[in-house]
Amino acid sequence: MATETLDVGATERPVRLAMGRYFSHPGAVIGLIILVCWILVTIFAPILAPYDPNELVSRARQAPSADHWLGTDMLGRDVLSRVIYGSRISISIGFIAVLLGGVSGVILGLLAGYFAGWVDTVISRFVDALLAFPSILLALVVIAALGASIQNMMIAVGIATLPDYARLVRGTVLAIKSQPYVEAARLVGNSHLRILARHILINVNAPIVVLATLQIGSAILIGAGLSFLGLGAQPPTPEWGLMSAEGRQMLQRAWWISTFPGVAILSVVIACNLVGDGLRSALDPKMRMG
Amino acid sequence: MRRYVLGRLLQLVPVLLLVSLIVFAVMRLLPGDPALLMLSGAEGGAITPERLNELREQMGLNEPLAAQYLNFVLGALQGDLGSSIRFQVPVTELILDRFGSTFELAVAGLFLAIVIGMPLGMIAAARQGGWIDSLCMTLSYIGSSMPVYWLGLLLVLVFSFTLHWFPSAGGGSFEALILPAFTLGLLSAGVLARLIRSSMLEVATEDYMRTARAKGLFPRLIIFRHGLKNAMIPVLTMMGLQFGALLAGTVVTETVFSRPGLGRLIVDSILSKDYPLVQGAILFLAVVYLLVNLAVDLAYALLDPRIRYGN
Repeated sequence: MATETLDVGATERPVRLAMGRYFSHPGAVIGLIILVCWILVTIFAPILAPYDPNELVSRARQAPSADHWLGTDMLGRDVLSRVIYGSRISISIGFIAVLLGGVSGVILGLLAGYFAGWVDTVISRFVDALLAFPSILLALVVIAALGASIQNMMIAVGIATLPDYARLVRGTVLAIKSQPYVEAARLVGNSHLRILARHILINVNAPIVVLATLQIGSAILIGAGLSFLGLGAQPPTPEWGLMSAEGRQMLQRAWWISTFPGVAILSVVIACNLVGDGLRSALDPKMRMG
Repeated sequence: MRRYVLGRLLQLVPVLLLVSLIVFAVMRLLPGDPALLMLSGAEGGAITPERLNELREQMGLNEPLAAQYLNFVLGALQGDLGSSIRFQVPVTELILDRFGSTFELAVAGLFLAIVIGMPLGMIAAARQGGWIDSLCMTLSYIGSSMPVYWLGLLLVLVFSFTLHWFPSAGGGSFEALILPAFTLGLLSAGVLARLIRSSMLEVATEDYMRTARAKGLFPRLIIFRHGLKNAMIPVLTMMGLQFGALLAGTVVTETVFSRPGLGRLIVDSILSKDYPLVQGAILFLAVVYLLVNLAVDLAYALLDPRIRYGN
C-alpha cells in the first residue's frame, strides 16, 4: 500500500511539472486551443456544415455572402461546407501518415540502436539513402509506383517522414542502452523484446512525441501539396490542397475558392507547430535541468 | 584538405548506389508489367503478345533483375537513362533541357532567402526580446507553416492580377521569374532567419565575444566580424539542405506558375505513367541534391579547419 502511494507521487510530479511548463507558454496554449477546435470541427462536420459538401447548392462562383460565408466554387458547391468536411480528410492525412512513418521509423531506429552490428549497418545505410531524397521527391517516387490516390499518398508521406524517426530513435537508444538500468534488466534475464519495450522505448517516448507533433504539420503540408499537383486526393473529394488546385484556373474571377482552404491549412499547421514547440520545452530533459 | 575531399567523395559512392537501387526497385515493384503499361500508355489499339515480347526484349525486361539493375547503373553512368514513352526521346535530353529553368528558379529562391532571411535573423538576435524580434519570429513561423502553392497563388492574386506588376505564368523572361522566386525564397527566408537568430544567440555567449565586448569594440563590429562569421557554420549546412528543399519546392511552384521545368516534368510524367522519365528525373534530382550538400560540406571544411582535421 505504502509503496503504491510512493509510486503515484513519483510519476505524478513530473507530469504535473511538464504540464505547468507547457501551459506557461502562451503560444503553446493558443496552438492547443486551435487544434482542439479543428478536431471538434472534424467530429461535428455534419452539424457545423450548412450544406452538403458535394451538392450543387447555388450559382457557380458566387462571392462570399450571408448565405455562403466563403462563397461558392466553380460548380456551385458551398466553399465553407467543403472546407469543414475537408478538415476530416486533410487532418487525417496528417495523422495517419505520421502514424505510419512514426511506427515504422521507431521500430527501425530501435532495432538499429539496440542490436548494433550488421543490423545497424543495414538499417542506417537504408535510412541514409532515404535521406538523400528531399522528402517531397521521396513521396513522388512512392506515388509514381503505387498510383495517385489518398491512401497511396498517406503511405508516401509516411515513408518520406520515416527517416527522421529512425535517426532520432537510433541516436537516443545508443545513448541509453549502456545505462546501468538497461544492463541490470538484461542480467536479470529479460528478453530483448521486453527490454526494448519496457526499458528503452519508455525512455525515448518524449522526443518521439515532440517530433511526431511537428511532423503532423509538415505531413499535412506535403499531403496538401501532392493533392494540389493532382497526385493525392481526387475530385470530387473536398480536400484542401485539391480545392486550391480546382480554384486556380479562376483565381482572378473567384479568389475565394483557392484561398480559404489555404487559410485552413495555415491555421492547422501553425497550431501543430505551436503545440510541438510547447511539448518540446515541456518534455526536453535538457531544458528541465536548466 | 585533399584527403578530406577524397574521403567525402568515396563516402558518396555507396549512397549513390543505394539511391539508384531505391529508384530502380520502386519502379520494378510496380504492380504490373512496365512494358504492358508502356504499350497501353503510348500506343492505342490492341496489344499483341509479339509486340509486348519485342518491347520486353528491347527494354531488357527478360533479363534477371540483378542484370537489369546493373544495366541501369551502367547506363546512368554513361548518361543513358532510357527513352521517354511520351516524348520518344532520350530521358537525359529532356532532363537537361528542363533543368536550366529549375536551377535558375532554385538559385533565385536561395538568393532571396539569404537576402531576406539573414538580415531578419541578425536583427532579431541583436534585439533579442524586442518587438522586432517577436515580429521577425512570428513572420518566420507563419512562413514555415504555409503551403508553398498557396503563397504562390496569393502573390499572383496581389502582384499579378491586382497590381499588374508581374506576369502570372510562363517562363523564359526575368519578370516571369520574380513571383516564383519570391514564393520559394520567402518560405526559406523564414527558416533561415530563425536558424541565424538561434545560431547568433548561441555564439553570443562564447568567450571571444565577451572579450570583444570587454575591450570596447563597436557592437556592430562585434556582430559582423566575430558573431556572424562563427554563426555561419551551422547556417551553411542548413543552406545546403534548404537548396534541396528549394529544388523540391520547384515541383509545386512550377505547377502554380506554369513554368516549363524539371519539377513540372516529373509530375506530368507520373500522371501519364511515363516511368523511364520519372525514374531518370528523380534520380537526377537526388544526385544534384547530394552533390550540392557535398559542395556545402567541402565549403565549410575550407572555412573551418576544425572540421578538416577532426574525425
